[in-house]
Amino acid sequence: MKKILLVDNEENIQIVYREEFENDGYQVVSASNGEEGLIKFSEEKPDIVILDIHMPGLGGVEVLRKMKMLDPTVPVILSSAYQEFKSDLGTWASDAYILKSGDIGALKRTVRELLGEIGAE
Amino acid sequence: MPELRKDPVLGRWIIISKSRGDRPTDFPVEGYQEENGFCPLCPGNEHSTPPEVLAFRQGADAPNQPGWQVRVVPNKFPALIIEGDLSKEGVGLYDMMNGIGAHEVIIESPNHDESFIDLTPEKMYQVFKAYRERIRDLEKDPRFKYVMVFKNHGKAAGASLSHPHSQLIALPILPRMIVSELSGAKSYYRYKERCLFCDMIRQEIQMDERVVCQNERFITIMPFAPRTPFEMWVLPKHHNSAYCRQSDEDLLLLAELFSESMKRLAACIPNVPYNFVLHTEPLRSGGMKHYHYHFEIVPKMTSIAGFEWGSGFYINPMPPEEATTLLRKSLDSVKKEADEKDTAG
Repeated sequence: MKKILLVDNEENIQIVYREEFENDGYQVVSASNGEEGLIKFSEEKPDIVILDIHMPGLGGVEVLRKMKMLDPTVPVILSSAYQEFKSDLGTWASDAYILKSGDIGALKRTVRELLGEIGAE
Repeated sequence: MPELRKDPVLGRWIIISKSRGDRPTDFPVEGYQEENGFCPLCPGNEHSTPPEVLAFRQGADAPNQPGWQVRVVPNKFPALIIEGDLSKEGVGLYDMMNGIGAHEVIIESPNHDESFIDLTPEKMYQVFKAYRERIRDLEKDPRFKYVMVFKNHGKAAGASLSHPHSQLIALPILPRMIVSELSGAKSYYRYKERCLFCDMIRQEIQMDERVVCQNERFITIMPFAPRTPFEMWVLPKHHNSAYCRQSDEDLLLLAELFSESMKRLAACIPNVPYNFVLHTEPLRSGGMKHYHYHFEIVPKMTSIAGFEWGSGFYINPMPPEEATTLLRKSLDSVKKEADEKDTAG
């Protein structure tokens, strides 16, 4: 079973994403901030990370760059409600940047692509 | 007594309000923040960027591999998208068009910690050459009317990564700033039948109050009506409206003077955040008698607040003549210290 590390400070997102991805057969590990996300990244060895950008404390782009230093082979998807973080070149370290929306179809598809479960569109 | 000054190109007024003293250290400068973590622009991480559209390499290394000196890549998350046809639309009195354009990042050095100011003139020349080659290439695309080349250095100036880089955006429309500059320069040309910028260079050399440095082909001046303390313009001494027509030889001389100008700024105000922007003629203009390409270097030392937004005025607390004197002395004192160390050693 592939393991997803979900780093997001919004409880609603945690609940919805966990349910959706667990229903699809993934194991979901949660972290509610960047610091916890980094610890769980090292301890849990996830297959893929879904990472929020706008979080209190350590921001998502900083966490992303630290994760990629620790293990560049683990795909990291940045997930944000905001487009404007795209102007931060630090986001280039990510494997994908997905805008949060009510329909998480695009996020699910990107997870499957990056895990090699389906071909890229 | 504060002074109002009018920019002769744009007709923009600024206020020189000398209230904080003479020293550059009187201005709060936000230093560069320490950064660590994975850098997508560093050699070895080429897979993190879109495939390069240009790279200068010393050897015959394969594309998108380490070994490059300067590398240009499309923006991974661009502000404008290169694919598609232009489509214009009007909704009542409002005009729109789809977001077609090219957004590229010029990685100026393989060394993450080497700032643009630290580049040797030879390395800076490679960067200037990359700008020219990209403009020449993008000029072939009839959808684009203008290529804006710019650099943000330091978080306060909008940079998000410290790895030295600049950017360019090819636009399907002319930016308003360029339209205003072209219009101001054309009005002057109609009246005097001379290029405003050529006249400005002649007058500045004659007056010698705002010339920071110069060489055989280029000159760095502080404009008469600068928006911020230590604003500098770098211009070719001989008339040329199109940056993309500069020869290799001239680009090297440009790099030498640009390097000296930036080093003077850094010696005066270490770690200063800044932006620079290339102002050149619109694509496929074929040479303009009334316009003159130049770089504008704007240190980020003052904030833009309600008065500036509302009026279009800028309040500058340092007269450019005084800033010029400081810049002229700055590198000389650094050079003198280095010479003295060499002699003592």
